[in-house]
Amino acid sequence: MICAAVLFTSCYSVRLTSTHGAPNPCQSGIDCLEDAGNFYRDKRVIVLDTVIKSGIMTDDIGIRTQREGCESGKLFSVEYKNTLGGALLYLVTFGNKRKVKIKYVCMKPEN
Amino acid sequence: MAKTTSHQVSSWDTLHNNGPFDLRLLQRTKLEGKSNIPSEIGRYNDASDEIQRLIQEALDHNEGFRAYGARWSMSSIAHQKDRMHYNVFMNLDLDISQEDLHVSSSYESANLFFFQCGNTIKEISQKLQSYGKSLKTSGASNGQTIAGCISTGVHGSALDVGSVQDYVVGLNLITGPNPEDVVYIERSTKPALGDSFAQKIKARVIRDDDMFNAALVSLGSFGFIHGVVIEAEDIFLLKRYVKKIDKNTALKLARTMDFKNSSFSIDGETDANGKPKRPYHYKVFINPYTNEQEYVVEAMYKKPYTDLYPDPFTTIEKSVYKDLIYLLIKISEKFPKSIPWFIKQLQEQILPDVNEESLGTLYETFWDAPYQGPAFACSFGVDIKDSEKALNVLIDLTKDEGPIPGIYAMRFVKKSDATLAFSKFPITCMIEIDGVLWKKSRKLMSLKEFSRRMIQVLQQNDIPFTIHWGKNSDWDFPDLVSDMYGSNSEEWKKQRSILLSKEMAALFSNDFLQTIGLYTKEEDVPTEDLIASL
Repeated sequence: MICAAVLFTSCYSVRLTSTHGAPNPCQSGIDCLEDAGNFYRDKRVIVLDTVIKSGIMTDDIGIRTQREGCESGKLFSVEYKNTLGGALLYLVTFGNKRKVKIKYVCMKPEN
Repeated sequence: MAKTTSHQVSSWDTLHNNGPFDLRLLQRTKLEGKSNIPSEIGRYNDASDEIQRLIQEALDHNEGFRAYGARWSMSSIAHQKDRMHYNVFMNLDLDISQEDLHVSSSYESANLFFFQCGNTIKEISQKLQSYGKSLKTSGASNGQTIAGCISTGVHGSALDVGSVQDYVVGLNLITGPNPEDVVYIERSTKPALGDSFAQKIKARVIRDDDMFNAALVSLGSFGFIHGVVIEAEDIFLLKRYVKKIDKNTALKLARTMDFKNSSFSIDGETDANGKPKRPYHYKVFINPYTNEQEYVVEAMYKKPYTDLYPDPFTTIEKSVYKDLIYLLIKISEKFPKSIPWFIKQLQEQILPDVNEESLGTLYETFWDAPYQGPAFACSFGVDIKDSEKALNVLIDLTKDEGPIPGIYAMRFVKKSDATLAFSKFPITCMIEIDGVLWKKSRKLMSLKEFSRRMIQVLQQNDIPFTIHWGKNSDWDFPDLVSDMYGSNSEEWKKQRSILLSKEMAALFSNDFLQTIGLYTKEEDVPTEDLIASL
């Protein structure tokens, strides 16, 4: 049981970060996600953690930035997390359900 | 109108978790959109009105008010228990044209830029780069706001340049709720902008060297810093080298800055006579727990800008598990003797790779510093001639009464004209110990006790010193500020009392200022009339 829990949640993540532009800041205690990890300290991170029902004919899935917390509409960093559970879900549903876990930070709005 | 949201909170902390500190109200202002106020000056003045409204509100409640930005300071300098204003979304920049210059200005208009307080070093650098310009220097990273940098004296290791405040040539402060409380301050001996520019931002002009120098490193206490005028320079590249060199050579360079006659020479960085060139930047890293005969040093040389250089960013970055560092520090608190071993193991993560070379702009060289968990930093400024002696005294303390989970470095900064700049010596050597924040245990003294002992051993060895305003220290050590700055601390207080009414002096004060004796409620210094002297 424990082994299964570990296997299904075991994962790795990869993050792509821009070398230009300033990240959208947040204020601890107000709009920061406190447990998001060191990289996200003081950055306004948006987390997408969902299962998308796509249908077996669907090739790719596109996701757009949201306005709340991403007024600039420009990306500073994107982190994609891969889990064994997500991969298995994809396999057993023949691609019908896709686990998506993305964290992204937008650019700070310019004035 | 610019919009401020107010949040009832109970505490506030620094980026590196050096608190928490009590706080009642946290405020955050976002500027009006371009679609409603298209003019940048219009939006800037609109923000100014909003800040004055917030000041009036604080005054009506008999409360303090203090701005903060990226909260990188580890001391409590940014903290105010009543009302704190988060200003990072105030990031406008205003164009400066030839017509805006003062008739006696010696500056080139192409080098002058006006930035609102919440612009970070990173944002400013990118803006300047689009004009083919660069900051003259920055700190070791780029996340601090410009107002925070100058308030606390942020520096790099540009030995012939100075600190961030040293290229600021004008300040727009909001010192109260009334129209005459928006002021533009610059030096009378080196004016930058004409009265017509000040009129655009509805500011009263004060041209006075003493006032300007006091307000430069203001500790956030000369009012709300709304905008700063900086002098930039043409964009340049920095060629960076990391070398391991003989300890005595490294320390002799620290003592003398005599690179020309040193045995430290890098191929390609010599003059026509084959003598070593003077670097733009020089830094020495010291692990206090090893007795190595060689130190790691970092030297950078200025090069003309060209866009034909390799991408300076490494593509893949890895970092140590946060939990691993947390575990190491917990073990260290129980078994302090393990600290030297841990530092040795983490040395690869902490120190730059020996023989590493890179080429990049200032922006690219001093790029993002990742947050790596609760941290401390103590930083002392000494005259370079005392640098080796001071380093040895501090290392001995760290080994004999520690060990402390940190590593030392020496950086070098040219003298500042700011009244309370800790870079007060002709060239100041900043000796700093950075590391992981720990908790006092039966076997390991507290950070405050360690800081106190550092002050004591420097005093016992007759080494004049200053302390970085934004770093950890035993700030209530008796007579600390007067011992460090002598009559300059009185001059700073005098200028502050000239600029601020008694009510506003109280409003812009905080516990930090009271602790170090730069503000007492009872003080009543007569004000003087200050008018534009040019």
